[in-house]
Amino acid sequence: MSAADAPPAGGRLQALRGRIEQIDRELIGLIAERVRIAREVGAAKRELGAPTLDPAREAMVVRRAGELAREAGVGDEDVRYIFWHLIGLSRRAQMEGD
Amino acid sequence: MIIITRPHVTDAEIDHIRERIEMLGLRTHLSRGEARTVIGCLGDEALLQEAALLSLPGVESVTPVMKPYKLAWREFAAGPTVVRVGDRGATSIGGRALAVIAGPCSVEGREMLRQTAVAVRDAGAGLLRGGAFKPRSSPYAFQGLGEAALRMLAEVRAETGLPVVTEVMDTRQVDKVAEHADVLQVGARNMQNFSLLSELGRVQRPVLLKRGLSATIQELLMAAEYIMAHGNRDVILCERGIRTYETATRNTLDVAAIPVLKAETHLPVLVDPSHAGGRASLVAPLSFAALAAGADGLVVEVHPDPAHALSDGDQSLTFSAFEQLMHGLRPFAAAAGRELAAPVSSLREAA
Repeated sequence: MSAADAPPAGGRLQALRGRIEQIDRELIGLIAERVRIAREVGAAKRELGAPTLDPAREAMVVRRAGELAREAGVGDEDVRYIFWHLIGLSRRAQMEGD
Repeated sequence: MIIITRPHVTDAEIDHIRERIEMLGLRTHLSRGEARTVIGCLGDEALLQEAALLSLPGVESVTPVMKPYKLAWREFAAGPTVVRVGDRGATSIGGRALAVIAGPCSVEGREMLRQTAVAVRDAGAGLLRGGAFKPRSSPYAFQGLGEAALRMLAEVRAETGLPVVTEVMDTRQVDKVAEHADVLQVGARNMQNFSLLSELGRVQRPVLLKRGLSATIQELLMAAEYIMAHGNRDVILCERGIRTYETATRNTLDVAAIPVLKAETHLPVLVDPSHAGGRASLVAPLSFAALAAGADGLVVEVHPDPAHALSDGDQSLTFSAFEQLMHGLRPFAAAAGRELAAPVSSLREAA
């Protein structure tokens, strides 16, 4: 069955999956951007002689992510979980060159 | 360290408490119950001494965790864990309803699997078990049908509606098995395979963790902690008999482990009477004992023709023996205050 003569629900599912794929691409692009900026943050911290590891800031970022998730109506625990992983990625990027 | 919050604590207060803990480099785990909310702390608790947690708004009490396991500890959760599986999470393990997982030791073919699934479902089982990859004591024994068996399990699930439980033996198989199964089983011989446990922590599938042949209760709980610490909180424990000097039975069912585990952990506890006894005639009495001791369900081996089974024929029940077992379990379930799904035949009679 081609996409043109698919039943309406089948066509809608296909369109929704296409949209999710697009969002995934955007998310990965944003994660890559976040890691790139974290690398620059790492360099800036080194110039200032500040420590790369900043648990207080990490805790603040995760709290804010949880708050934003609640406002957006998605599970704040799941978003916190994702953000701890994102922070792990950024932390490693910042430490490159340490 | 666990922090119990006051009733009617706000989200902002909880956020603030967690931030105070996490800024010291620890992590937190939140468990919301009807009566109370628990914030568990993971990491170096000595650092918390400077956090003055008791003075924070919303904090009712602060208790140190004296156990080596934290996430698995009963006090770490606001209530017992109920693991939901299958389509729309319709099947639960750990709630008031007893979970009965039944099926062949090994998937030997599509037709035998289908027949067994229909028979156990009609007798009241809620999940189908079946081995695709078999860790046998002898390298010359039948090792399972592998990926072909996984596909058969998925087909039979689609046909019968029974969620599927199957063993994963190796880190390389985790994604493949997770693609087809609803619950991933860790066998007794792999209970302390820490690289496998870590990998299972990363998949979003419930894990049925069987107690090792010579593992203590604490070692079982530490194995569960491994999976949970890597991000997967849906762990189901299974007592399946331990190795003792007794040779009249295959293993010795550690009945006392059931109430000990229920007192130590919020995780569901199942019992496998088939491996514990090693003989079909022992399955019913051990099942009765398990329910009486507070088990959340059973894992039972059932085969259309146990005499010709490729593995574990001695301990497998025939379809009619399984039906009798389910019937015999009713008074024990009722006495323990638990529910047992009614067999299809009685539903038909009632209709």
